[in-house]
Amino acid sequence: MNWELVFTENNVRRLLIGDWPKSLGGVALTIELSLIGIVLATLLGLLVGYLRFAGPRPVRWLAAGYVELLRNIPLLVLIFWAYFAPPYFGWEPSKFASVLVAIVLFNAAYLAEIVRGGLLSVPVGQVEAARAMGMSSLQLALYVQLPIAGFNSIPAMTGRFITLLKGTSLAFLIGLAEVTEIGRQINNRLLTAPVEVYATLLAIYFILNRGLSAAMRLLEDRRRFNRIVCFFAR
Amino acid sequence: MYQFDWSILWGEGGRLLIQGALVTLELAALSLLLALVLGFLFGVLRWSQFGPLRPFCWLYVELLRNTPPLVQILFWYFSATVILPPGIIMVLRDWGFQFVAVIFALGLYHSGFVAEIVRGGLNAIPRGQYEAAEAVGFSFLQSVRYVLLPQLVRIISPSLVNESVSLIKNTSLALAVGVADVTYQARYIDYSSFRGVEALTATTLFYLVVCATIAGFGHLLQRRLSRHRRSAA
Repeated sequence: MNWELVFTENNVRRLLIGDWPKSLGGVALTIELSLIGIVLATLLGLLVGYLRFAGPRPVRWLAAGYVELLRNIPLLVLIFWAYFAPPYFGWEPSKFASVLVAIVLFNAAYLAEIVRGGLLSVPVGQVEAARAMGMSSLQLALYVQLPIAGFNSIPAMTGRFITLLKGTSLAFLIGLAEVTEIGRQINNRLLTAPVEVYATLLAIYFILNRGLSAAMRLLEDRRRFNRIVCFFAR
Repeated sequence: MYQFDWSILWGEGGRLLIQGALVTLELAALSLLLALVLGFLFGVLRWSQFGPLRPFCWLYVELLRNTPPLVQILFWYFSATVILPPGIIMVLRDWGFQFVAVIFALGLYHSGFVAEIVRGGLNAIPRGQYEAAEAVGFSFLQSVRYVLLPQLVRIISPSLVNESVSLIKNTSLALAVGVADVTYQARYIDYSSFRGVEALTATTLFYLVVCATIAGFGHLLQRRLSRHRRSAA
């Protein structure tokens, strides 16, 4: 085993932050991509899921079409669409933007289904009570339905967020310098320690995902979840 | 404005894409088989909570499920030459080294998910069912055949269908180690003839048709199985 070849100061720094301050990469870029992706995908997922649940009929069909289309295409093909297709039409997106768009669109389709399932589980009495208090449909959605649905679907969402984080590794196939790409570069330079390099990558992702699960478990406390929702709903 | 030229899909390009599509289906079928076999094995082991194997089974499932399939493919592909004895490597070369590595990696990755599905299904069968099977004098094999399996299949088949769809989509990662699947061919057509949009469209439609067919089959299956349940109740 050649662990000391892998864990040189230079390699560790590149794995963690890439070529910062020239350009961010490595674990830091993976985390950045994942966090922005999680926030945007969740927002889009909430919107699409709600529209599929309660929108007017044509909108419901549109939302259903979006979900079924995106769920039946590999993420990699979407990334290729986002990165290799626009230049044909005279526009060159950045690698980061391409991957982000693909990851958000792809995972939002799954999150929409999770949100819809959560909305179906909202007790009818809650909706009737809100109606009786004279809430509009928007108030009903924002203050009653979506918070309850969101809380109920946290475990399912955690699974999807982990898949999203794992999906950021595909960015290396178009050359974005996140942690898998850095690992590949290190492996190409060393050539003698593939087991060590890729085991390190696996360990990094394992730790990131366990951390993500642990963070999401904090949200499974109803009082803490409500405090956060109230903060944003104010 | 970009001028589409769909004729690329009828000549050489179409031949490459069909070749790639067959490789994709082959990859999917073989790794699904491996995933099901290993998944059932580890699912039953996890469920039985057999003492000495418990930490190992936990680690197996958690490691596989919490790391990206792409990195797992790269790990097995690059590590195989170091780990395996040269004799086996020679045999694998004949079969297509990359091809075998991808099947092995994807089979393992999805077996982690299948194991959790199987465990969940087994946990969902009420204890009374086993006790009743024992009470009417069924042997172990009889209770598996007539009590356990029929219920297990009904509970887990929708999830297994979802997992198969996800596996088919993940076969697209095979291009990372140079297996010429349908996504690889779309990329090849892109940089060899600059007809990337047409090739990507065909590839997307291929995945869409295959995945939607399987998902539709899953819905049908689910409806059939739940009807059976209603009439039995």
